Amino acid sequence: MSRVVEVPAQLDDRTFDQFAAGFGSWPPEEKLLIDARAAQWASPYGLIGMLTAGQALAEAKRDKPLFTVPQSEEVKRYWARAGFFHHAADLFELHGKVPRPPTTGPSDVLLDVTPVRATEDVHEVVGKISEGATRILHGELGLELKATLRFTMALSEACQNIVEHAGTSGWVAVQAYNFRRRLGRRVVVIAVSDGGVGFRRSLESSHAKRFGERWGDGTALEAALIQGVSRFRDPGRGQGLAFIKRFLDQWKGKISIRSGTARLTIVPPWDEDVPLSEHLPYFPGAQVQIIIPAQEAESR
Amino acid sequence: MIQTIRIGRLLRETVTLPYPCLVTRPTGAAVRNRIEAALAHSDCHTAWLDFSDVELLDLSCADEVVAKLLLAEPVTPAPFLVLRGLREEQHEAIEHVLTHHRLAITATLYGAEAPCLLGWASADARATFDALIARDGATPAELAVALGWPEGRAREALQALVAYRILCSDGVRYRPLRTA
Repeated sequence: MSRVVEVPAQLDDRTFDQFAAGFGSWPPEEKLLIDARAAQWASPYGLIGMLTAGQALAEAKRDKPLFTVPQSEEVKRYWARAGFFHHAADLFELHGKVPRPPTTGPSDVLLDVTPVRATEDVHEVVGKISEGATRILHGELGLELKATLRFTMALSEACQNIVEHAGTSGWVAVQAYNFRRRLGRRVVVIAVSDGGVGFRRSLESSHAKRFGERWGDGTALEAALIQGVSRFRDPGRGQGLAFIKRFLDQWKGKISIRSGTARLTIVPPWDEDVPLSEHLPYFPGAQVQIIIPAQEAESR
Repeated sequence: MIQTIRIGRLLRETVTLPYPCLVTRPTGAAVRNRIEAALAHSDCHTAWLDFSDVELLDLSCADEVVAKLLLAEPVTPAPFLVLRGLREEQHEAIEHVLTHHRLAITATLYGAEAPCLLGWASADARATFDALIARDGATPAELAVALGWPEGRAREALQALVAYRILCSDGVRYRPLRTA
């Protein structure tokens, strides 16, 4: 028996739950076919979410899933340029013709899909992003020059969460694109995902007791993002997400973190997302998305 | 006597990547260990930790390098510490972690000469710091007159800054640390 997991035509943070629901109970017992034939677009969050599923299945010692590539040549080319197929080939049995990856990525991809396994990878990510970040954030989005460095700091902290807490490796991608329907402006998006232990299990031994029966994926996310708690006894820990949140407040940005069956969002004025969603379909690890919008003309 | 410790150089000796970015906790801890080793062999009154050739400092490294250095048991006699050459976002990251730990330090921004008090301090301590910088030192009585405070209040604020190792005192006068 095999199970077909359909990739939504537009795979992003909003449709991700539909993708996660396709796996049923985790880890699924059946052989999986991930069907991306009808895919028309995937955000960085969607691309690395699919890789996270493949990685988590491999770590759960499941058969290598089949993956049917998008039918659209344009979509395939874009996914190839973003580095998706390069990594997907290790995690899935790819079906369908995959274009050769170009030597350089598209200009709006600040950081193509990149694995984060160790501290050295965080250094590499930070080094690679610096030049492109100035061009996009300052040149295109109209943020002050100093925002570029704060953006890189936020990226560094988000990637370190994988190394420090996930108990496994993960993925990061950074891209700029037009957010026409939801905002009508360009945005830059950082997506970070891992298939590790997730926030609830990471914090459970040190913090679950004081929450009693309320303890769950949602309360764990609130404890980490709002209260700045950490599993480490070191009082200096837990400040990274608080700093990201402060940076995003300044630039009217958005952060959402999905872990297990919950998703917590700091909702900016331009968005109508739900602050806390619980009882979502389970997905392993943690998925973080940070969106920084172009500044409105009057605030430039 | 003043010793200058160039953080960018320690970073290059610690990691082999070409980017002068002080990021990740293990890197920060390794750089802190090198600073502590340098301070352990120092007979200087003051050590300047110079960040001017560090391009990026993330929050984790601000905590590992600066906050943990201040929290550690100091070598005896420990040099006074001053941060120099901080860019605005580095200043912001260090301020964030020091405030979290209720610590403070003297610092100068990149390209600036006037020192500032970075981190957690009461309003009285900040006013005292600024007044002392303007006068390059004062007795509690002089400070009390300058700020229009009772002498006891001035003395208390001065002693708080001495406890933070932000001022030095010969028992009579209180002086800010040398930053230039």
